[in-house]
Amino acid sequence: METTSRPVVVKRMPEKMNLKQARKFLQEVQPFVNSDRPQIVFDMSQVRHIDAAGVDVLLQCMRAAVKHDGDLKLAALSPQSAVVLELTRTGRLFEIYDNSTAAVKSFSSFLPNAMRQFEPHGMQAAAPVQPISVNNEDQQGSGLAA
Amino acid sequence: MDIRAILLIGGIGAGEQTRPESFGAVPLACLDVLGMSPEERVISRLRHFGVSVCSVICDAPATAEPFLKCAALDSGDQHLHVDGEQFWRSAEETFHQCAEDGAEIVIVIRMGPYVEADYEEIIQHHFDRRNSVTQAVDADGASLDLFVLSTSARSDAAELFQSRLQHMRHESEAFPVSGYVNRLQKAADLRRLATDGLLGRNEVKPQGKEVKPGIWLGPAARVHRKARVVAPAYIGPHAHVRASALITRGTVIEHHAEVDCGTVVENTTLLPFSCLGAGLDAMHCVVGFRRLAHLVRDVEVEIHDGKLVGMVPLSPVSRLAGSTAALFAFLPRELYRGVRASFGRKARKRTAEPSEEAKTSPETPVLEEPLSNSGPSEFPPNLAVMRRYGDH
Repeated sequence: METTSRPVVVKRMPEKMNLKQARKFLQEVQPFVNSDRPQIVFDMSQVRHIDAAGVDVLLQCMRAAVKHDGDLKLAALSPQSAVVLELTRTGRLFEIYDNSTAAVKSFSSFLPNAMRQFEPHGMQAAAPVQPISVNNEDQQGSGLAA
Repeated sequence: MDIRAILLIGGIGAGEQTRPESFGAVPLACLDVLGMSPEERVISRLRHFGVSVCSVICDAPATAEPFLKCAALDSGDQHLHVDGEQFWRSAEETFHQCAEDGAEIVIVIRMGPYVEADYEEIIQHHFDRRNSVTQAVDADGASLDLFVLSTSARSDAAELFQSRLQHMRHESEAFPVSGYVNRLQKAADLRRLATDGLLGRNEVKPQGKEVKPGIWLGPAARVHRKARVVAPAYIGPHAHVRASALITRGTVIEHHAEVDCGTVVENTTLLPFSCLGAGLDAMHCVVGFRRLAHLVRDVEVEIHDGKLVGMVPLSPVSRLAGSTAALFAFLPRELYRGVRASFGRKARKRTAEPSEEAKTSPETPVLEEPLSNSGPSEFPPNLAVMRRYGDH
């Protein structure tokens, strides 16, 4: 997979994502999502309250980014935001990563270990699982084992 | 050294109503996972380790025959389709044939389990311990139905085949396999094999081009520009994802499978030639052969409604005829709808313009009765239908 040299914009979402804050946030990020082939990461670690307006902003940004042949990924979901995204079934529309660094790297290469687990209960990896590339120190460190 | 392999597919529960290790009567080992069946992957792996000839003996009903083709076999290889009691006899005969042809070592694998074993190490272990039969076991010491046999030990081999790989004539030190193991006993295991492949936990690599990080597309796969595919995902050759569909969370769509408009497919495997209907929500399941296995509820359902789960014709001629027929049915229908819509517009325009009588008497209600020449209308004439089908 070829790597990309286009910049990745990381935007930290505010603590509250109600109607007022969501509008303000949308205004802030609109230039980025409407640029050519945008690569955007929303860091949701600070989010404590998110309502339908906040979810709607996420969807609007995603739609705009895809329209401009780019993508929007989410990183570092707080428990509150994870619950709301699961409840509204919008989480499955996004690639979700454990942290912003992994999300930024994912635009150039696929990072399965950095992704939030999507398997349902009782669907853990078959044992024994061993790292495939033992020469790569990074992969050893991250640990392919479940 | 001449090393050969005998690959046994199935062989347990023959003659039963619901066969174990199969889905819709097709053995799990023969079903594609990320573009290639576990059977083909094991054969490729054996070739990589220097196995010259592979013989495949498959135990499956005749209905499963179209799905049992193995592309990894060479001209010198043998593919037998045996149903029922003759299975183990055929395995024994094939072993004797290998011995007569001059092979020194025969690797016998029953699938069943998918094992990523280092065959070089097993054979080395076999020679070091001077075994006549070496059995491979997993980390817990359970058998993996993988054996290395010396062709000189014919009676040991006969005992092994007659006991259906359950009993060895002489006890020998087993070889513990350290690589990836998947038992492939039910649909959930097939799904897990695909997930582990997508997440790089095993050597089951997706057969296709990585068009975006974590998204693999097979040749001639079609994804509508209004469909969304979220990584990791695999869409196999000639598969078709229609408008507004969402493919997400490790979904695998195998070759010639179709996902209709607006359907959400999440953490699901869609088997070859399967078709998911429009507007559905398929989550955590394996779909194929007009049946659906839900992995969380651990239930398998047979579905006969083609609008929900259907099958694409297996032969290319039938598929071409079907799509041509669909096109010829689609064009006149769209033409008729267009003409009807234009007449409807004209009729609405006429009703909107007040008649001479209406102009003279403003009390007369203009839109009280439907126009007699417009026929039975679906909507009342005073209701303007702006958008009936969204943006399309």
